[in-house]
Amino acid sequence: MAALAPSPAAAAAGTKSAASAAMPLVRIADVEKVYGGRQGPVRAVASASLDVARGEFVSLLGPSGCGKSTLLMMIAGLERPTRGAISLDGSPVVTPRRDIGIIFQDATLLPWKTVEENVLFPVRILKLPVERYRERARELLAMVGLDGFLRHKPAQLSGGMRQRVAICRALIHDPAILLMDEPFSALDAITRDQMNVTLSEIMERTGKTVIFVTHSIREAAFLSDRVVVMGGRPSRIILDEPMPFGRPRRLDIEETPAFGQMVRRLRLTIEEGHGGAMSGRTGGGE
Amino acid sequence: MANAIGTETGAMVATPAAEPGAGLSNARAILLPIGLALLALGLWQAACVIGHIPPVILPSPLSTFRYIGERWDILLTHAIPTTVESALGFVLASVLGIALAVVITYSRLAREALYPNLVFFQLIPKIALAPLFIIWLGIGTQSRVAFSVFIAFFPVVIATSAGFASVDRGMLRLCRSLTATERQIFLHVRFPAALPYIFSGMKVAVTLAIIGVIIGEFITAQAGLGYLIIFATARADTEVSMAAIVVLCLCGLLLYGLVALGEAVANRIYAAEAS
Repeated sequence: MAALAPSPAAAAAGTKSAASAAMPLVRIADVEKVYGGRQGPVRAVASASLDVARGEFVSLLGPSGCGKSTLLMMIAGLERPTRGAISLDGSPVVTPRRDIGIIFQDATLLPWKTVEENVLFPVRILKLPVERYRERARELLAMVGLDGFLRHKPAQLSGGMRQRVAICRALIHDPAILLMDEPFSALDAITRDQMNVTLSEIMERTGKTVIFVTHSIREAAFLSDRVVVMGGRPSRIILDEPMPFGRPRRLDIEETPAFGQMVRRLRLTIEEGHGGAMSGRTGGGE
Repeated sequence: MANAIGTETGAMVATPAAEPGAGLSNARAILLPIGLALLALGLWQAACVIGHIPPVILPSPLSTFRYIGERWDILLTHAIPTTVESALGFVLASVLGIALAVVITYSRLAREALYPNLVFFQLIPKIALAPLFIIWLGIGTQSRVAFSVFIAFFPVVIATSAGFASVDRGMLRLCRSLTATERQIFLHVRFPAALPYIFSGMKVAVTLAIIGVIIGEFITAQAGLGYLIIFATARADTEVSMAAIVVLCLCGLLLYGLVALGEAVANRIYAAEAS
């Protein structure tokens, strides 16, 4: 956690998490999700089993419609599995819970609130003591380089800055896990690279567990400890691959042959999962 | 926290500098409409004087203003009940309209059963129902206020429910992920997001509320500007009618101004720009 002031709630919970350190933080056991559609039921996720360890950064990677976002929403408790079970920190996830931080593709900030108040929004909703979290909010904003923008409104920020506010908001109540649903896919390529470095640095400092949904192969390989590829029809997990790159990671690892090989391997796996529909394309990772 | 992560911070911190000539174009925006209005009044005055139009057909602006200056006590006596009843009708219409919008937003049954009927209701020329309010509620204040509410609440319902529905779905999903209650979502997200819509509905409602009261006064009242207009017109006292109409415009401006003031205050609190 480096110099970050621990959230007042986390200080008390310290002993409990040490005892349960051996078991995975997230356990997804044979989960299936079927939506009742107009033309009959649609299987968004056929069968998924996955463990995520404490402190691990896991990406769910796959083409649009492969069920990766659905799986993430089930972990968040925003969707319920049709079959199977998901547990977080030993207890089953059936509804949304307080110990989750979530980040969507859009920053979803309140336009009439200042940056600082937006970061404190979960504190107000969870009825935690706002004044005790104000210092933490400012430290989080300083960590992402927004300490000069406490009084600004979201409309005065760029897209990348807004998404950084959203990251601080997700971290404010010190959740056990961060769930990120394509958080940078609305940003331009250069901002996106910067955000990847920023996120990588935040994770090195805070040691947070992250499940990160993306359809960018390079982004997944750069950020993750493990990349989980989803695909096929109906969709399932087709690859669960550790990323053998050291930390801290900076963008220059993308120039290394090992990185290139990994991106190629992930891409071939996605193409196979897609029934070879994309096999005519060669080259770039995205 | 010594070193900050991230570099791209300098962007987009625009401070709108005053453009050269901005003051001039502001003055233009005020002076042009006032100039046109004065020109129209001048032509009106000239037509009355040069064309020898008898005051019973069209009193001149100057004689109308002179009458207002001389008999402001009578005009004020009649302006007060009209303004008070309009304000009451407007406030009740706003409360009722917002309450109905809340019901429509949160109850699917109410939305599906009520909303189409409200829209259908709006197609009725509601002024035609004014005499019925006299039968139902008598000739007193209550019937005029009720009629005023009746014709004014609709735009508030429509605008407010549109405002409640305008909330970003991602924001709602975020709130649900934070285990927010419906009450929290309403207070923190839905209501502030709907405020611009609510005020646009209320601005329409305030003018309709005045129309409702005037119609009521045309039919029954023993006091009020609507009564004065009808009474004076029946006696071919056109100058009095014209003066009453001018005062009515001022009352309308006053009420509208109060709503606009409320909107400005809300805008200050819920601005998307830094204050």
